[in-house]
Amino acid sequence: MSYYFTILSPTDTPLFNIAFGTSKGGGDGIARFRFPETAQYMNQFIIHSSLDILEEAQWTNGAMYLKHIDTYPPAAAYISAFLTPSGARFLLLHQPPHLPSSTSTGSGLGSSSLLGSAGSTTRASSSSVAANPTSPQTEEAVRQFMNEVYENYVKTAMSPFYKQGMEIKSPVFRTRVTAAGKKWL
Amino acid sequence: MTSPGDATPVKPPPSFSPGVARVASPSRYPEEHESTQSIDVQLAETQSASSSTPPLSATISDLPNRSGSPHSRSGRSSTPHLARSSIGSPFDGRADGSEDIRSLIIRSFSPTIAVHASEDTDDLVRNKGFKGGFWELIRPFGETVSGKVVIRDSIGSSRAWEDYGVRFVSFKGIGKATPSRDSGPLAQMEEVLKKQLDSSEGLMGASIRTKDVLGFPAATPLFKSYLQQLLCAAPAAPHETFGHPVANVIAISSRNPAPLESLRQLYADSTTGDRHLPDWVHQEYLRYYVLVHDEERDDITESTKLYDQMKRHFGLHCHLLRLRSSQCVVTDDDSVQVPRCEWLSPSEHLSGAETLVDLGTDGTPYLFDSDATAIRAFIRELVVQSVIPFMENKVAVWNDQVASRRRGISGRFISMSKRWAFGSSSRSSMGSSGGGNYDSTQHFYTPDSPEAVLRKMADFAFMLRDWKLSTSTYEMIRSDFGNDKAWKYHAGAHEMCAVSMLLNPLATSAKIKLDSVDQLFETACYSYLTRCSDAPHALRCLSLAVELLKSRGGSATESAAKWAMRVMDFGLVGSVGQILYTERVAACYASKTPVGAAKWGGRRRKAGMWSTLAADQWLKAGKPTLASACLEEAERLYADVLEADGVFPMPEMQNFVDNLRHAIKVEYLEARGFDARDDSPTEDPLDTEEISEKLDKRNHRRSLIGLPVQLDAGALNPQGPRDPENPNDDFERA
Repeated sequence: MSYYFTILSPTDTPLFNIAFGTSKGGGDGIARFRFPETAQYMNQFIIHSSLDILEEAQWTNGAMYLKHIDTYPPAAAYISAFLTPSGARFLLLHQPPHLPSSTSTGSGLGSSSLLGSAGSTTRASSSSVAANPTSPQTEEAVRQFMNEVYENYVKTAMSPFYKQGMEIKSPVFRTRVTAAGKKWL
Repeated sequence: MTSPGDATPVKPPPSFSPGVARVASPSRYPEEHESTQSIDVQLAETQSASSSTPPLSATISDLPNRSGSPHSRSGRSSTPHLARSSIGSPFDGRADGSEDIRSLIIRSFSPTIAVHASEDTDDLVRNKGFKGGFWELIRPFGETVSGKVVIRDSIGSSRAWEDYGVRFVSFKGIGKATPSRDSGPLAQMEEVLKKQLDSSEGLMGASIRTKDVLGFPAATPLFKSYLQQLLCAAPAAPHETFGHPVANVIAISSRNPAPLESLRQLYADSTTGDRHLPDWVHQEYLRYYVLVHDEERDDITESTKLYDQMKRHFGLHCHLLRLRSSQCVVTDDDSVQVPRCEWLSPSEHLSGAETLVDLGTDGTPYLFDSDATAIRAFIRELVVQSVIPFMENKVAVWNDQVASRRRGISGRFISMSKRWAFGSSSRSSMGSSGGGNYDSTQHFYTPDSPEAVLRKMADFAFMLRDWKLSTSTYEMIRSDFGNDKAWKYHAGAHEMCAVSMLLNPLATSAKIKLDSVDQLFETACYSYLTRCSDAPHALRCLSLAVELLKSRGGSATESAAKWAMRVMDFGLVGSVGQILYTERVAACYASKTPVGAAKWGGRRRKAGMWSTLAADQWLKAGKPTLASACLEEAERLYADVLEADGVFPMPEMQNFVDNLRHAIKVEYLEARGFDARDDSPTEDPLDTEEISEKLDKRNHRRSLIGLPVQLDAGALNPQGPRDPENPNDDFERA
């Protein structure tokens, strides 16, 4: 399972980006997306495109954690979202690891995996979080992660040196997010 | 279709925080002339007033034009040969849109009429320049029956259809699956696609992307032609009766020495002779007798006498067709061009590909006006007075005798008892052979078994556009096929059930459950692909799903996009097909319009993403023209959702789009480089006035404009090359 986490300002500007891999089930915490190295922009495209869904979902769901809102089937990428009261959006893209057989073409379109059928993983099959991106366990784990990040985000945003809408550069925040990722995902 | 295409861009819903003011982004599509004026000024400034207009205009106007603008649309309609007919699409006059695709799909399921002509008739017609004989002569005219066709449905209400058509097939061709020429229809379609791409690029390199009136992305002619081929690619098969003849036209000519005898001979040929149809075709089809009278060589009184005799013998289903036997050439006074066949299977496309290139020159034959009128009248009479009543009658009879019995309580009981009684004892051993009428060795139902009759009835109802009846009938039989393990029938019934559900105009989108439609398609697709490994049918099924769900609008577009992605996932299409379907996904998302006061529910970002991906793929396929069209489409879609003009919030996206734009520009100019040198003198006068139209639309064209000045006008530009870093900062953040 690979993760790409983004905090977006209310005007869709990214405030914070981080890519990391799972640490459960013997994972080494390094992101391995299905796209080739040259096509890492796909993550941002997918995240950006899921804003369409997010903008719809935020009015129909009263909770801050919106759970799994969107999927990008060609790359089996799943998006979970979390809304903060200040309008910043937390978006987490999670992607089960490469199946050995699937070969993704340049833009990640040719991958032969089907929606949801990419459950069987090679590396982290023991971990329930990695095994099924839409399972309740995953939802719960993502919720925990989001809450923890939110707590840190609030602390960071309250810093007198931080203005709303600024990119978050705090190394402390980054390590905390990494730690949260390690802990829950 | 409601689409605020030409309205000012819709802002996405205000985000959560009220604290952040959202500055209204400048409208990218200024409707008012004031703003276009200002952009003009701006442009003029940024162009540093380099007076290199002639080469600039030549290059700019060669760029695929932005057909969203009203100017270029009007320009396009005056020169229709530029855009669409390069592909040979027969829809030149019509507005594009999902209605168009819908009509295309409806017309693709039209009754099949076999044509069985005597040798002398074929000879007569061959003299006129139609190598294929009588069938080839009347085939293009059958695709649209002139005038309205009134059809009564099962509950007795009638409806008139403007666009009804029938498909004529050669009698000899039915059921004889053409010996597959080393590749299946899907590979052939891919081949046709490539050919069409090459020819259209080679001819003019004009944009072959069109938009409908509302500025929404319509299906490209390329995709339309692809869909048409897909819909008529499948030969007649046992599991669906669309390819089976509804009627058989038996034709003799006035030259025939023994007319009645040869009619009898032809009839016998079609029923018992060695040419008779495969066992799975229902033999109860209409026979229609045609006497072709040679106006130039034969006596009309003789023919009338013979015709009267025919009427006495064969009843009402006769026609006297008066044709001139000499060949018509363009220079004749009353020559008319024979319409082009719309429904050509991929293999016909391949074999007739050369006519595609020299379109309108000598590829298509000509006819005398009187002949064309006579053929139209003949076909109208054939369809309106014989075929439609025959089908209506059949549907009524079968509905009465077979379907109602099944619908009744006893029918249910019978099918239940069949299922349970046989199920317990013989499910595994002889379940398939013992239970039903399904011949599991030859894989078909005998034509007179109730299952086959019901399927035929449903197909008839479908072709008569009585989708309510066809839905209920498919619904009734689809589980039977599953019980009999007749998987192809099973898939077909599920597919058509969902399709007729979606086509039924009375069932509002609220009424039909999209879930159940999805489920039907899912089952059909699974049966076709996994159980029968029938890729062409699976692709047809999925494509129908995509197009029909898309035309439904609303939340259905999302499942349409899902099915389009599924097509790509299954690998049913080749490399060009992949790109076409990527475009389709974009189109599906783009057609989801925001609703309500809050204006949410649009899928502009998704559509933009897919469009960008399509552009990327076109570029990789070496088609910069199409890539550029896609990229512009993407820009148009993104325009509403991005804060500032063309500036993506995410750096890597920005980077990618910038690079893509640059690469397209470079390749495009490289491709044009040779062309421009060749025909620039002729193009110049035409294009000079177009330039202002294009420029006043969007100011971010600047980047594209910048480069041509540099490349082409290097020698001509009095000021020399512009400042070098300018061409690269494409996305004018400045």
